[in-house]
Amino acid sequence: MKRKDLILHLIGEISSFLLESDPRRLVISLHQEENGLHLCVLDENPHTEEELKEIDEALNSKKRPELAGYYGSMTGHDMLGSSRLNLLGWQVKHCDVSSIGSGIKIDIWLGGDAFQNEQFTIPKNR
Amino acid sequence: MSIFKENVIANQNETLLFLLMFIMFSFIVTGIAADGVAKSFSGFLELQLRPARLVSDFVSDQGIGASLINAAAVGITGLILILVAKVQLSGATFAALLTMMGFALFGKTPVNILPIIFGVYLAGKLVGKTFSQYLIIALFATALGPLVSTVTVEMGLTGFSAIAVGTGAGIITGFLLPAIAVSVLHFHQGYSLYNIGLTCGFFALFAAAFFRASGYEFQGLMLWHTSNSPILTYMVPVLSVILIGTGIFTAGKNSWKDLVAIQKHTGRLPSDFMDLESVGGSLINAGLMGLFGSLYIIVIGGDFNGPTIGGLLTIIGFGAFGTHLRNSWPVVAGVVIASLVFGKSLTAPGVLLAAIFCTTLGPVAGAFGVVAGFIAGFIHLVLVHQTGSWQGGMNLYNNGFAGGLTATLMVSMIAWYRSKNTSFK
Repeated sequence: MKRKDLILHLIGEISSFLLESDPRRLVISLHQEENGLHLCVLDENPHTEEELKEIDEALNSKKRPELAGYYGSMTGHDMLGSSRLNLLGWQVKHCDVSSIGSGIKIDIWLGGDAFQNEQFTIPKNR
Repeated sequence: MSIFKENVIANQNETLLFLLMFIMFSFIVTGIAADGVAKSFSGFLELQLRPARLVSDFVSDQGIGASLINAAAVGITGLILILVAKVQLSGATFAALLTMMGFALFGKTPVNILPIIFGVYLAGKLVGKTFSQYLIIALFATALGPLVSTVTVEMGLTGFSAIAVGTGAGIITGFLLPAIAVSVLHFHQGYSLYNIGLTCGFFALFAAAFFRASGYEFQGLMLWHTSNSPILTYMVPVLSVILIGTGIFTAGKNSWKDLVAIQKHTGRLPSDFMDLESVGGSLINAGLMGLFGSLYIIVIGGDFNGPTIGGLLTIIGFGAFGTHLRNSWPVVAGVVIASLVFGKSLTAPGVLLAAIFCTTLGPVAGAFGVVAGFIAGFIHLVLVHQTGSWQGGMNLYNNGFAGGLTATLMVSMIAWYRSKNTSFK
């Protein structure tokens, strides 16, 4: 799969998730390097602590190569049904989920073996 | 990931490894107890040279002992691959192993599955994927084992050329399957659990067409063991009780809560109940699927043989990966009513297998409700009677093929209907 397609599917899945709660504004920011990328998505809907925890757990679940390599291809392809963040969680390097004012901020870092933390704005303790 | 969570996963792996090894060992011991060492192992060797197309009940062909040893051998092959690939034992791998063992009672053998697995491995190499990433495809893709057997023993080839051409056909088959498997997932959007059934059925359509074009005529096979024995009748219920017991022991006081939570999932692929809820709850659910499946066969007076026990093992496996009682019953009801409407006997092989394997459509009922599930089951029964001959019986997951097509139809219709009123005011 070309990188452009991969990014489109990632954006599709995460934005599909946030659009389910029908936000008035949704902001998507992308930073690409040769060995990885950082995707940041923000909305302005209120989310409970429990919701944040569930999102965090889904996105930071254990890496499952056997599921990611096969079922991961469904990421961003949802025609019917709710979006599934665990499809993303199996594939990404790291995710941060935080509450910002009235909304939520989700940071996703994805990369290959040569992924370099310092090229991105990953918090130092990650 | 926290240390606590890592410990939980390590314990989960140990529990499942022990359980799976126990099941495989029990199969061998039970097989030898049933038919003796000599008959069981000579029968096992004979099975490696069978065409193995649908429906080839190995119990009818070589007896209980040979069939159970073959199932254990296929299961051990799968387990070794999982361990070599260093993949975590989970709902997906549990489902894959029990499905492999189940179908080794009527079609899969170590000899006819290995070339396909090697082909999947080569496909992964070509596109830069590790074997672990294609492991699930490799394990389930063994449904086309009969294609290897058919080419090897039925096409008039002999000696080394038969082995070489058969093996080559299996490797090519395995090489092509990952591409199809990923694509057809999008057809039904994960609403049919046996996606590789649709994958293999799709591929087998082309393979069967080529075989027919080259002058080969598929002879119908119907080996179906009818005389029930206590071993065959009680095998799955006993296994189910063991799974429920292990589940209760593992989940403890959370058993009921986890089981109830599992029933609330749609089951849409990929729903790994062991991850989403717990190993214990998943094992209880798996055991209940086995018990209710067995009860259904007993109530209608059906046969316990290789194919039906294979079906029960499959739904037990998927009890950890998408199937549960709540999303299954509407689909089974659809199959039962359709068979009554069209005047088919509930104990006829095709209908009986459809009633077990139609649970592949559980996610349709889980996501869209009882009526949608019932309609899916009704359509499934009608379709599954046709799909076997289309693909020459070489795809063992014929119900997965029909189920995938049915789910595709249902999903297309529902998506189209839901597209109304999407424009802005």
